[in-house]
Amino acid sequence: MDFDFSPVTDNWRYLATGLGITLLLSILTVVCSLIAGTLIALGRMYGPTWLQKILTFYIDSQRAIPVLVVLVWIYFALPVLTGVNFPPFWAALLALTLHISAYVAEIVRAGISSVRNGQTQAGLVLGMSPRQVLTKIILPQAIIRMLPSIGSIISITIKDTAIAAVIAVPELMKRAETVSGQTFRPMEVFTTIMVVYFLVLFPTTRLIDRLYDRVSYRGRS
Amino acid sequence: MSNVTEADFGRKNASSTPVVEYRDVRKQYGNFTALDGVSARVNRGEVLCLIGPSGSGKSTLLRTTNALEVIDGGQLYFDGHPLPSSKAEIRKVRQRMGMVFQSFELFPHKTVLENITIGPLTVLGISEAEANARARVLLEKVGLTDKADRYPANLSGGQQQRVAIARALAMEPEVMLFDEPTSALDPETIGEVLNVMKRLADEGMTMVVVTHEMSFARRVADWVVVFDHGKIVEQGPPAQIFDAPREDRTRNFLSHLGWNG
Repeated sequence: MDFDFSPVTDNWRYLATGLGITLLLSILTVVCSLIAGTLIALGRMYGPTWLQKILTFYIDSQRAIPVLVVLVWIYFALPVLTGVNFPPFWAALLALTLHISAYVAEIVRAGISSVRNGQTQAGLVLGMSPRQVLTKIILPQAIIRMLPSIGSIISITIKDTAIAAVIAVPELMKRAETVSGQTFRPMEVFTTIMVVYFLVLFPTTRLIDRLYDRVSYRGRS
Repeated sequence: MSNVTEADFGRKNASSTPVVEYRDVRKQYGNFTALDGVSARVNRGEVLCLIGPSGSGKSTLLRTTNALEVIDGGQLYFDGHPLPSSKAEIRKVRQRMGMVFQSFELFPHKTVLENITIGPLTVLGISEAEANARARVLLEKVGLTDKADRYPANLSGGQQQRVAIARALAMEPEVMLFDEPTSALDPETIGEVLNVMKRLADEGMTMVVVTHEMSFARRVADWVVVFDHGKIVEQGPPAQIFDAPREDRTRNFLSHLGWNG
């Protein structure tokens, strides 16, 4: 068996821009999901009952539907229903955010619930409003406690962007398929991108773990 | 409005309006009666100690004072006015009462200094310079000047509780409420917290203290209230409660704790 990595080296620029799109899609999804997920969690915990019910259903449904199905539905089915066509990149961003936000919401909710009631009371007895207690006392501690789970969500998000290949978003996976298909060298090409994904993700999760180890005492009440 | 009874005769500021007055206060948790018609008063400058077995209602009464627990019956007066029911008004009342918890409840994400300034900064709206200056004075008072920039996780239990006292004092309260402030402490750090409280009492702070530290109550209290099963068994000056209790249940409770005068 002979190895030939020239398809990879010859096309490195093509693959590298693919990685760029993977990273861009990942970062945008993470940022949007963190914001949306936090708002969803707050709505579910403190909103009016009807909102709580809707958000609970939304979270449960996203946990029950594969992200690939959400993606394909938004790209192929939604335009039929509404006439609104999303370009592949935006369809992927929307689908991933819809899906990941639900998980973020659960992490945020667990983080907030884990801060014991005495902390709320300590804020209230100083004369703070419930909103001040939430923003100045509970959320900062909850965010620190959520770091390990947020780390997992970030790595899951980066990995999940690979499914955007099915709607032809020109990210790393899609480009690898293209190169592999043109050169008939799947072993070399896919091994390479496997290593690339690992090299991106491994330091990212390590970094977040390190950060948590450094600040975890600030979330322990 | 405050009727001075015979029992109150000779108490500090007995003729002026009490800082806190409980009249026939009732509190129910489902079928459990936590407070069954409790009446007591705290005069200005007095230290009132609430003692009694666990679950007898003393902590519950303390927590009704600043509406952490809402009473189901009776009346509660603060500075001569009934405790308000609107949330905004209750916030105002809470700003005038300090509270110290058994489990400290310092904010772990804030430094010692920030723990003390957060109340005045967010609630009273004073400047950061003024809040910091106030905090430094209080840190000196509780003997922790060198810990200003530490996080609570780096302090011992006794040190954390002293910071918690400073945090409450930063609001310049008219009354301090202590909910078993030394129950979660290692024996060797209990003294440092009690000393701070004693000094506070000597300075004339009005205090309500739920405690199991009988020698502290004996030494520092102006008035002692003994609880059992949600009712007041007996109340009186510490000399009466500890040296010549009138009720068997008081005597029983004290002897269970090994108190022998």
